[in-house]
This record gives sequence, structure tokens and C-alpha cells, in this order.
Amino acid sequence: MTELWYVVGFAVVGVAFVFLVLGLSWLITHRNRGDEHKGRPYESGIDTYGDTWGRFGISYYIYALLFVAFDIEVIFIYLWALVFRDLLLAGFISMLIFVAILLVGLGYAWRKGVLTWK
Amino acid sequence: MSIAVVTWQRLNLLGRILAIVVPILLALGLVTIGVAYVAGPYAVGFLADNVPLLRFVAAIGAVLLLTIPTAFIVIYLELKVIARMNLRVGPDRVGPFGTAMSVVHGLKFLSKEDFAPTGVDLRVFTLAPVVVFGGSVMTFLVIPFAPGLFGLDMNVGMLYLFAMSGLTVVGLLMAGWSSFNKYSLLGGLRSAAQMVSYEIPLTLALVGVVLLAGTMSLNQLVLAQSGSIADWYVWRQPLALIIFVIAGIAEANRSPFDLTEADQEIVAGFATEYSGMRFGFFFFAEYVNVFVVSALIVTFFFGGWTAPFDWPFPVVISGIDPLAWGVGSLIALLLVPVVGTLVLAAPFWLSSRISTLQALVIGFILFNVVAVGLLLGWAFVSLDWVTGLFWFFAKSYVFVFFFVWLRGTLPRVRIDQLMGFAWKWLLPAALVNIFVTAAVIVIVNS
Repeated sequence: MTELWYVVGFAVVGVAFVFLVLGLSWLITHRNRGDEHKGRPYESGIDTYGDTWGRFGISYYIYALLFVAFDIEVIFIYLWALVFRDLLLAGFISMLIFVAILLVGLGYAWRKGVLTWK
Repeated sequence: MSIAVVTWQRLNLLGRILAIVVPILLALGLVTIGVAYVAGPYAVGFLADNVPLLRFVAAIGAVLLLTIPTAFIVIYLELKVIARMNLRVGPDRVGPFGTAMSVVHGLKFLSKEDFAPTGVDLRVFTLAPVVVFGGSVMTFLVIPFAPGLFGLDMNVGMLYLFAMSGLTVVGLLMAGWSSFNKYSLLGGLRSAAQMVSYEIPLTLALVGVVLLAGTMSLNQLVLAQSGSIADWYVWRQPLALIIFVIAGIAEANRSPFDLTEADQEIVAGFATEYSGMRFGFFFFAEYVNVFVVSALIVTFFFGGWTAPFDWPFPVVISGIDPLAWGVGSLIALLLVPVVGTLVLAAPFWLSSRISTLQALVIGFILFNVVAVGLLLGWAFVSLDWVTGLFWFFAKSYVFVFFFVWLRGTLPRVRIDQLMGFAWKWLLPAALVNIFVTAAVIVIVNS
């Protein structure tokens, strides 16, 4: 339980620290609304064109999907590594099989050309 | 006019400030003494009953206080070291050798206008630096700085670390998305893709270390490496070290993997629309992250706070009890600063040119340097946590210097090279490392 409260406490104090400093900065800075040009997004001097929150490349999604698969794998591998000294050969072979299955997936993605940035 | 008004008008500015500040300080001091006198016993009793709470407050206070000088030192190192590498002088105006430059940098951020353009999602826009900075502060919780000096000895410490470093991705994505700017969006997406890809080799590289140590607690990992320099995991996991360093640089968004804020391509990436202290926190978090990654490299591969060699001159000064010395020796002890100052000032005073006052000032400064040096030297030999802190920070700053060196040397990689490298080289290499380590353990143990 203490561990949980430490983590929660650290999060609360860390966030409070940021807000405190932001508040302090808000107190001592000058603010000026300016005209409409000041509020425009900075895109190297050209007015923004089209929808900003629009479409972007599919590669980003695919990397995120690959990440999810391998991140779950990492969690399993960590637990396996923790108890590896009790398992030895049996653990070695079963992890080899587990990773081999995942590597088939990676190989498939590789052949499909997903890993090459387009 | 009353006497008070006349006196007030005769004072110059310094006098007026003193006339206001001194009474306030006196009043505050009296109030503090009064409160301590009345509430002191209760407070001591309360703290004695709540030692964990006290420990928590000390830990969070120390961590927050540590982040600020850490960021300042890393920023100064970056300015100065890269300048020297480019055959420039670097900062040399503010403070001795420009050391106060980064403090001025921080004050500048604090006092600049914090502007949010029209069209941004203001809540997400404000929360993004909070998430990024909070994530980097929270990684400090499990880092063991010295024997007994750590926030929390967690048995899932490494998983906690990766969870917290994952928060940075969320923060950068929030910043990129909420900024209502195409460059910011691109920067945010790039950082998400990059950090997510390098998270896999980063975590897989450390599996070899866990296999060897059989624990995920960072404290236990350091203890497993204590002994001599031969026990450090760098000798048994060299491939893991290389993978971890490369992926760590990418996780901290440092050059040569700083595509998220590639200023020649996408202005400043996710930070384009940020200004003032909200930008300051991104900046702050980046440099704290550099230190965190260095500290983690040291913890996992270079023995954390353990010394590389045994100190050959064990000096244990024990049995010092000033109360038993008697009044005469205590007064003699009080004379040490005076005599020390005079002795150290004497050579300067004798060599003419310098006025008596200047010689005394130089003597006083020299005496302080000598006294602090002696005190630290004594602490280094007789207190093991001071020794631990010294070695921990010395090793960490070697890697901070290495990161700055890389930034001064290498050009930025292209994004296709970056992503391909993570998935086609680092990931298979990390898997090979795991299975080679596991195979060796199987052979040794059977």
C-alpha cells in the first residue's frame, strides 16, 4: 500500500509543482491579446490552409499497432526472466517458441514492406 | 510632519528597503520562535509517529530540488561543450565562465509572455507540459542515488520506469494535437512513432540484465553489481548496453534522433506554438530526461553508486565528542576560522599591490574553500552515502557529457532510417542478446 501512496503522492506533488510555477509565471508576465494576426498558428508566415486536425500518413498507425503487440510480449518476457533460474531449459525452449510466433508476425510485416517508411 | 515621515524621506532606496524588510524579518522570527515554543513538542511527537510521511516529504522535496540544478547543469554543459567543440567560446558573460547562464535562461522563461494562439484546445495545451514534466519527475522515484538514498525500493521498479517514460509520448502527442498547427501535429506524430518504436529495444535490452540479476528492483540490481569493477554488467551485457544507449537517446529525443523538433523541417515540432513557462517545462523535462537516461545507464550497467575501486586509505575518525573537550578547547575551535583566514591572507598581504581588505577577503574565500574541501573529503572517506552519491553523479555526468558530445558531432538521421533501424536492427539484436544470455545461464547452471 505504501508503494501506491508514494506513486500517487509523487504524481500529485509533481503536477502541483508545475501548476505552481505556471501560476507564478502568470503573475509576473505581461499579457497582450494583440490583433488577430498574433493568434494565428505559426506556419512560417503563410496563413494556415485546410483542416489541421485532418488526415495524416497511415504509417503512424501501423507502428503503433506493432508496438502494442511487442509491448505485451515484453511484459511476458520480463516475468519469464524474473523466474528463469527455476525453469532453465524448459523455460528457454518455451520462450523460444513464444518469440518465434511473434517473429513470424514481424517477418510478415517486413515482407509487406510496412517497416519501410513511405 | 511627524518624525517618522521626515526620517522616511531622508532614507535612500536601500535604506527604505532595509527599513521595511528588517522589521518584517524580526517579526517573522519572533512568531516562528513563539510557534515552535508552543507547538514544538506536539510537532515532534506527530513526526515521530509518522516517520513514513516524513520520509515521503523528504523524498519528494529532494527530488524536486534536484531536478532544477540538474537541468541547469545539463543546459550549461550543452552550451559550453558544444561551443568548445565548434571552436567557439560559448557563454562567458553571466557569472564565472558563464555558469549562471542557464539560471538566467530559466528566469527568462519564467518572465516571458505565455501565449496560447486562437484555435488551440486550451485544456490539453496546458496539460501537455504537465504530463511531460510529471513523467520525468516520477522516474526519479525509483533511482537509487546512494546506499539508503532512494525514493522507494519497488520490486517492479523497471516496469514502473517504462510506464513513466511512456507518459512522455502521451504528453508530446497531446502537445502536437492541441496546438492547431500542422508542424506541431507532424512533430507530435513523429515523436509518438519514434518513441513507441524505440521503447521495444529499450525494454528488451534490459531483459538480459534481469536474467543475470533475477530481480527488477533497481536497488537490488545495484547491490548485485557491488563488489569490484568486474561485477558490473557492462562486461557481461555489452550488446545490451549499446542497444540501451541508442534507444535511450531516441527516447530522450536527443540528437541524432531529434526528428520531433527538427527545426529545419518542421519549425520546432510539437513545441512550435508554445511560449513562456509552458515551453519552459518541455525544455526542462528534456534536460532532466538526459540526466535520467544517464543515471539509468549507470544503474543498469555501471554499478550505480558502487565505487570502481576500494578507497585505499580507510580513515575512520570515531570517538569525537566535542562536549567532552571543555570550554577552553571549544573557544580555541571558534578561533580556527579567524586564524585560518589570517594565515591564508598573509602571503597576499605581504606581496604588496593588494590592499589589506582585499587580502582579507581572498583569505576568507580561500579558508572556506579549504574548510569545505576538508569537510567533504572527511565525509567521502567516512560516510558511505557521500561516497555513493559522489560515484553515482560522477558516472552519470560522464554519460551526460557523452550525450552532449553526440549532439556536437553527429548529423540528424532521416525518418525512414530511424524507424527502419529500430525494427530491423535493434529489435533482432535485442532478442539475440536475450537468448544468448539465457543459453549461457542454462549451460552454467546445468
